[in-house]
Amino acid sequence: MGFFKRRTILIILILFFIAIQLFSLDLRERNSQNPVSKLVLTLTYYPQKLVSSVTDKVVGAWRDYIDLMHVNEENKRLREELNALRQEKFELAEIKAQSTRLKKLLDFKDVSPYPVVSANVIGASPSMLRSQVVIVDKGGADGITEGMPVASYDGIVGRILLAGDKSSEVLLITDPVSAVDAYIHRTRARGIVKGVGSGCVMEYIENKSDVSVGDKVISSGKDGFFPKGVIIGTVTDISPSGSFISAGVSPHVDLNSLEEVVIIQKSVNNVVLNE
Amino acid sequence: MNKTVTFVSLLLVSVLIITVQSTLLSPRIAGYLFPDLNLIFIVFLAVYSETKGSFLLAAGNGYMMDVLSGNLPGTFTISRLSAYMLVRTSSNHVYLKKALVLGLVIFLTTIFTWTFILTIIRIKSDAGFQLSFSDIILQGLVNSVVGVPLFWAAGRIHARFQK
Repeated sequence: MGFFKRRTILIILILFFIAIQLFSLDLRERNSQNPVSKLVLTLTYYPQKLVSSVTDKVVGAWRDYIDLMHVNEENKRLREELNALRQEKFELAEIKAQSTRLKKLLDFKDVSPYPVVSANVIGASPSMLRSQVVIVDKGGADGITEGMPVASYDGIVGRILLAGDKSSEVLLITDPVSAVDAYIHRTRARGIVKGVGSGCVMEYIENKSDVSVGDKVISSGKDGFFPKGVIIGTVTDISPSGSFISAGVSPHVDLNSLEEVVIIQKSVNNVVLNE
Repeated sequence: MNKTVTFVSLLLVSVLIITVQSTLLSPRIAGYLFPDLNLIFIVFLAVYSETKGSFLLAAGNGYMMDVLSGNLPGTFTISRLSAYMLVRTSSNHVYLKKALVLGLVIFLTTIFTWTFILTIIRIKSDAGFQLSFSDIILQGLVNSVVGVPLFWAAGRIHARFQK
């Protein structure tokens, strides 16, 4: 122990106990109004936006170079068409089941009872401790506040964790502290979709419920954060969990290649508006 | 060089590093084999910087990590500050010009900071962070491999400015 100064060890021990007191993963306990945090977000917004723009341009130029004969543009168009067709197929299945609960997701402005703001992903968490966080280029100046749901045309992405002036942090649904109240689309079996890092798991589904691999999972709207009827993902596996059923859920949105998202300007207090 | 200029320069480097780490080298983009430039920079501050404000810079770097990593209050600020103090105290005792020793210091600092954080998580939280000890060892190795040449380059630049 003589290797380090005793005073240093003592200070580090004190810091450790301070850190224990400060540390809390409970979102409700967090002081999201901390102006210094918002300042850091604003301070890093411009360089992040710059790097993001330059990277996009470099990547775009490289793709255009290697994708001769405009294959890239064709590919992009086909992807958009494919997404539209997937959405259409899903909606047709919904009509066939004579249910009107699941709304069209392709254009949130038409289906959402709330105004939406589109945003670009400009960064992500710099730490492996909580890697399921991305940074978007819209913040308080655009009317964004903490808790607002974030989605893409493919489904739920997450919710606003911290809103700076120009940018915001989005907690993805795959983060372990994320929880979304959800239904199995086909049978209306209810449960909670939680993040597990690489994907999600739907917990607390009643034992008697009818759940199958391939079932679509949609938000129930009862958690006060996410609007009702937005697709979350697809059931990939089912296992008993005590007196409940637990189902692995693969998110419908490819969260690893997020580029554009929409932020639904739904106040967290509007819990019953869409019920 | 003027101390204020040095401090401002190091502050700008801090912002540049956190920008790179939250865009090009984020674990979401680069996977778990990303170098933690922020931590390497804190070791650099502890070893080379004679600016009194380097203590504040180390805390500031940790705070930026806190904010951008999902607003985890104090976790990185305090763990990185502790790492800074530990390396600062011990840097008189180790021969840091040797690449192997330097690599070992970076590796051990990585292990120290993550052990610090994981201990707090275990004590305070039941949230399941998917972070294993092998992930930490792996990051320690990546940090050492990337950190040693970065240190060499940064040390030369730093020495030039000191003249």
